[in-house]
Amino acid sequence: MIHLRDVQKSYSRGGHSVLACAVDRLDVAAGEQVALIGRSGTGKTTLLHILAGILRPDRGSVEIVGKHLEKLGEAGRDRHRGRHIGMVYQTFNLLQPFTALENVLLGALFGRGAGGEARLRAEALLQQVGLADRMHHRPAELSVGQVQRVAICRALVNDPELVLMDEPLGNQDKATGGQVLDMLLQLASDRGKTVVMVTHDPESAQRMQRIVDLASLRADLPAEVAK
Amino acid sequence: MKLVSISLRNLRIRFVATVLTVCSILVATALYAGILVMAEQTSERFNGGYSASHAIVGPKDTSQLEIVLNTIFNVGDAPALFPLKVAIDLRNPRAFGGRGQVRYGIPQGRGDSVSRYAFPVVATIDEMWSEYELHGTTLQFAEGRGFEFSWNDLMQLAEGLATYESARRAGEGPPPDRPLLRPEWRKCVIGSRVARTLGLSLGGVITPVHGKPGEWGTHDHPEAACEVVGVLAPTNSPIDTTIYLPLGVHLLIGGHEGGVFVTPQVPGKSEAQLAEMPVTADQIGLTAIIIDPKDPVGDQILRNAFMRRPDAQIAKPREVIPKFLRDVGSAADVLTVIAWLVLLVASVSITVAIYNTMNERRREIAIMRSLGARRLQILAIITGEAALLSLFGAVLGLVTCHLAALLMRNAVEDMTGVYLDWLQFRPWELWLLLGVTAVGGLAGVLPAVKGSMTQVADNLAHNY
Repeated sequence: MIHLRDVQKSYSRGGHSVLACAVDRLDVAAGEQVALIGRSGTGKTTLLHILAGILRPDRGSVEIVGKHLEKLGEAGRDRHRGRHIGMVYQTFNLLQPFTALENVLLGALFGRGAGGEARLRAEALLQQVGLADRMHHRPAELSVGQVQRVAICRALVNDPELVLMDEPLGNQDKATGGQVLDMLLQLASDRGKTVVMVTHDPESAQRMQRIVDLASLRADLPAEVAK
Repeated sequence: MKLVSISLRNLRIRFVATVLTVCSILVATALYAGILVMAEQTSERFNGGYSASHAIVGPKDTSQLEIVLNTIFNVGDAPALFPLKVAIDLRNPRAFGGRGQVRYGIPQGRGDSVSRYAFPVVATIDEMWSEYELHGTTLQFAEGRGFEFSWNDLMQLAEGLATYESARRAGEGPPPDRPLLRPEWRKCVIGSRVARTLGLSLGGVITPVHGKPGEWGTHDHPEAACEVVGVLAPTNSPIDTTIYLPLGVHLLIGGHEGGVFVTPQVPGKSEAQLAEMPVTADQIGLTAIIIDPKDPVGDQILRNAFMRRPDAQIAKPREVIPKFLRDVGSAADVLTVIAWLVLLVASVSITVAIYNTMNERRREIAIMRSLGARRLQILAIITGEAALLSLFGAVLGLVTCHLAALLMRNAVEDMTGVYLDWLQFRPWELWLLLGVTAVGGLAGVLPAVKGSMTQVADNLAHNY
């Protein structure tokens, strides 16, 4: 499902090149649920963006759901992300002017299409996460837990093979966040989805089948980060 | 859900800015469409009011444009009078070298109007129904028929009036009786719009008004009230707004007694002396004669002959009207340029309005990109917003234009004789709609490019 080899990504900061992410080797099998942990600055989010095809690595090979992303152009990576990858962010990233149902359909619009079938799928997902009576509410009218569930539905609406999560518990209280995370993992498991979650929260990481410390993937980690 | 739904939602969020921008497009479109409608309907109106071969005989000391505008299009006041002799000569096969024959020469007298709409009254003879042709056909009646007042009736009446007037001027004994207005002459024919506006049909009564409503000295002529005996079918020409009655009524109407004769200029005689001279039937005054020359050679002979005549001249609508429309068109061109400038400014306002939102929309765009939206789709959403703004403005602009035509049509027709058909939609309106929408879409390209260049990873990282 995921095969990374010799991947590196640097940013230019103040005229200097700063290594943001380096992975010698990472493999995730189909259906596996993996937590990527690491301290702040270890490049967790950068790696997630590389896996999503939002960022292109400076070097190395990134194979996701059978496609070598480093060989695809930007539009190709966008299309691949829309169809095969669902994303859940720490801040959920729902669009405020749209209702819960419309936010879920946005995921479909840029993925496999937001026709009548997608609408039925979106409604079914929202019902499954207990938001049948909140479909037409805007994010501002929902609780944090409900917003998070909408974000999960949006990630799953295209029936993607891979779900990527960036600190999905965010700033919520652990009890509520944990319940929603369990719900997502259950939904993903039922559907045979591969889930990769980056987090610095050990408790969340424990819910996954495998935990990978980002530091362990970096043979040439700069000294100040490797400590 | 479609991309256009996102564009629409974005417009709804910025409701006030959207309304203001739509208003600016509305003004530009309405202005542009209004100018085109006026120019087109003016052209249609003026080109539809005469046949190519028509010529108008009018008084000598008047501009040809004035003669044509007044006689064909009922614009302006009736020009001066010229003598009936001109019409008699036109009917004389030996006049003009025997080559200046006309198919018809229909005399007209003007100066009266009817109702607050100032529908012009044209006094004429019954050849208007039997001989006159507009675009190859005689005038058709929606109901009824034409009145009866022949050329011979006119000549007999002219003789009677001349005898009476000459005797009156001579002052020798009691003058003979002035010819009376016969009841069978008090009939009239009305144009289709006159019938519609005044709610008149067969049997209705028209009372002419001397002058135009609201003008000083205007007065009714109840003694000349005429029964409607015919309603003309619509011609989409000034005929629709005209009331026709017999020349006999016009000549015998109260107050016209002294003014029906044209006094010739005689060297060495004062005006007072001329006013005392006996008159002849051929001095009866007319305001116009509509003629249709038999052939182009005859047309040219008539023109040459009338250039030498001191009492009348010939004006050809086919030559006068295109020049007039070109002059009017120049003014319309200036207005069109102004309308385009307004549209340009409105388009720039679209660019500015959307461009200014791009910074606050970076996160929204980054989210859509993270969901799989391609740069082109972002481009489409933002240019779509601009195009929709323009489309709404253009549609409302056209609606405004038609409503303005509805509200102003009577005033415009009274002032210019041009009838605005507010319900008529023209093919160019669709092109205008598409053009304005396309221009608006183009105005959105700059902000759209900026939006599509949004860095996804950077803007997703910010926690707003």
